Amino acid sequence: MAALLEVENLRKAFGGLVAVNDLSLAVAAGEVLGLIGPNGSGKTTLLNLIAGTIRPDAGKIRMAGEDVTRLANHLRVRRRINRTFQLVRAPPNMPAIGTVMAAVLYGAGERVRFKDAGYEAAGWLGEMNVLTKADRRFDQLTYIEQKRVELARALATRPRVLLLDEWLSGLSPSELEGGMSVVWSLAAQGIAVILVEHVMTAVRALCHRVIVMNAGAKVAEGRPDAVLRDPEVIRAYLGDEDA
Amino acid sequence: MAASAEDRRRRRTRTAAAIGALVALVAVLATVPLLTSDYQLSFMVNVMSYLVLTIAWALFSGTTRLVSLATSAFFGIGMYTVAMSIKILPLYASFALAIVVGAAVALVVGVLTLRLSGMFFVIFSFGLSEMIRELMVWWEINQTHTMGRYVYVPFDTTMIYEHLLGLAVVVFLVGWLLRRSRLGIALLVIGEDETVARQVGINVPFTKVAIFIVSAMFMTLTGALMAPRFSFINPNFAFNPLVSFVVVIMALLGGLQKLWAPVLGVIPLIILSERLQTQFPFWYSVLLGLVFMVIVYFLPRGVTGLLEDIWKALGRPLALPRGFTGPLLDAWAWLSRPIFLPRGLAGIIEERWLKIMPRANEKR
Repeated sequence: MAALLEVENLRKAFGGLVAVNDLSLAVAAGEVLGLIGPNGSGKTTLLNLIAGTIRPDAGKIRMAGEDVTRLANHLRVRRRINRTFQLVRAPPNMPAIGTVMAAVLYGAGERVRFKDAGYEAAGWLGEMNVLTKADRRFDQLTYIEQKRVELARALATRPRVLLLDEWLSGLSPSELEGGMSVVWSLAAQGIAVILVEHVMTAVRALCHRVIVMNAGAKVAEGRPDAVLRDPEVIRAYLGDEDA
Repeated sequence: MAASAEDRRRRRTRTAAAIGALVALVAVLATVPLLTSDYQLSFMVNVMSYLVLTIAWALFSGTTRLVSLATSAFFGIGMYTVAMSIKILPLYASFALAIVVGAAVALVVGVLTLRLSGMFFVIFSFGLSEMIRELMVWWEINQTHTMGRYVYVPFDTTMIYEHLLGLAVVVFLVGWLLRRSRLGIALLVIGEDETVARQVGINVPFTKVAIFIVSAMFMTLTGALMAPRFSFINPNFAFNPLVSFVVVIMALLGGLQKLWAPVLGVIPLIILSERLQTQFPFWYSVLLGLVFMVIVYFLPRGVTGLLEDIWKALGRPLALPRGFTGPLLDAWAWLSRPIFLPRGLAGIIEERWLKIMPRANEKR
């Protein structure tokens, strides 16, 4: 498979702390790439770099062959890269449908008439099974509903690469099952999904490939079952046996 | 859920009635100069000018939630551009020049202050007004050796009033259209959370500067139109910082939720400040300052907040029970009524109105 998104030798330091160190990865359309690693290993920073929330110190990010390393956040959205946030982010005082409408109007690429944006936004909410919550403010939604609305917001911009930052964390077992099938259906539609996740059940079930990060660097890459048995990975998570 | 044909017809009738009523209102307002005394007319000129300033202020600050104290800067730029160019240019040309200058300053300021937020922007915008004022004073004293300019043009109070009325109609129209547009949604999202705004593909800096310029152009034109009213203008008068503060208080008093809400803040405050000015001429600014402090300190959420508290204490919840009626209807309700803005007096009136006339709500 030809890579859709390529990241080459990406580096980002916050003062003396190197959060992402010389990291490369590639993800193809329809592929689910897992990104795991202990807390503080730079996973979220990596997502921020790819999404354009922050800028890298060095390295390149290519989307469908185009260099997007220097593009602003909103322009990357229009290049079909979108994300959800680890802590769900949404305007607290706006009905759920509000941001989805904004996403339809601004992120979807083609010009959508204002009148039609509401219908289209409703469609995305419907796809995420939260249409009946369209008029609720964010704090009136349950956690999983918030996550689904946020995903609807991301999907309304028709992403080809979707970055999910712990989108499946903190869910009940039945919610997790529903969430996993959502992610699965995204990949089936040909979206390249990068999944930052601590829920290993989901990682095992969903990911075609897993990259393990530790202290900003890649320590392992491969099929989930193989990678999760790798002694290096176990050490990264649990420390040395005599530690 | 598609609206039934009857619903649609009713909505159309209501829209037509509303437009008719507004046209009639404007027509009545347009005849004010024929019917009133000079004093009443000058009062109406005051009302109209502050109305435009307040709505223009709300266009930018109400949506992006950046409190701007640059109103007096743009008002002054308008007034002083006319004062300086009136001897060389025809009147309308100097109005046009004022708008161009105002927009240019807004562009530069907007680009420079993009990264500022919250308190920093407030202070910057205030500093900007003061800087321009001092700059103009310096310029007039040292370069042109004049400490004021005369504006004698055949543009009497009636003309000023009619032009301001027209401008008020335009600013209302712009505000109304904005709430039903892409740009309006973008502004609301930016006001709530800029990170989310970027993540839905909104060009945040561009959008902010755009609305800042639009708002500034209205303020500048108001200043320009007011110039002929005062035959003698100096920089300290044109760039009076009080204007910035009065506009903020008016907007907060009236509420920002409804487009027309500032009307409710403008009129009482103008009456109050005229009373103070005539009865306590020497203590005027002190007393006005006290009024501001009382409003801001004791009523941080404006008169609305106070009334809401009283209302709640009486045990009657303000929020009406709302059933789900389809996302579009609610999206529409949201657009015409952003919930996060201070609701001001307008909010109270609206709630009362809904209680008296429970039209659509009853059917839900």
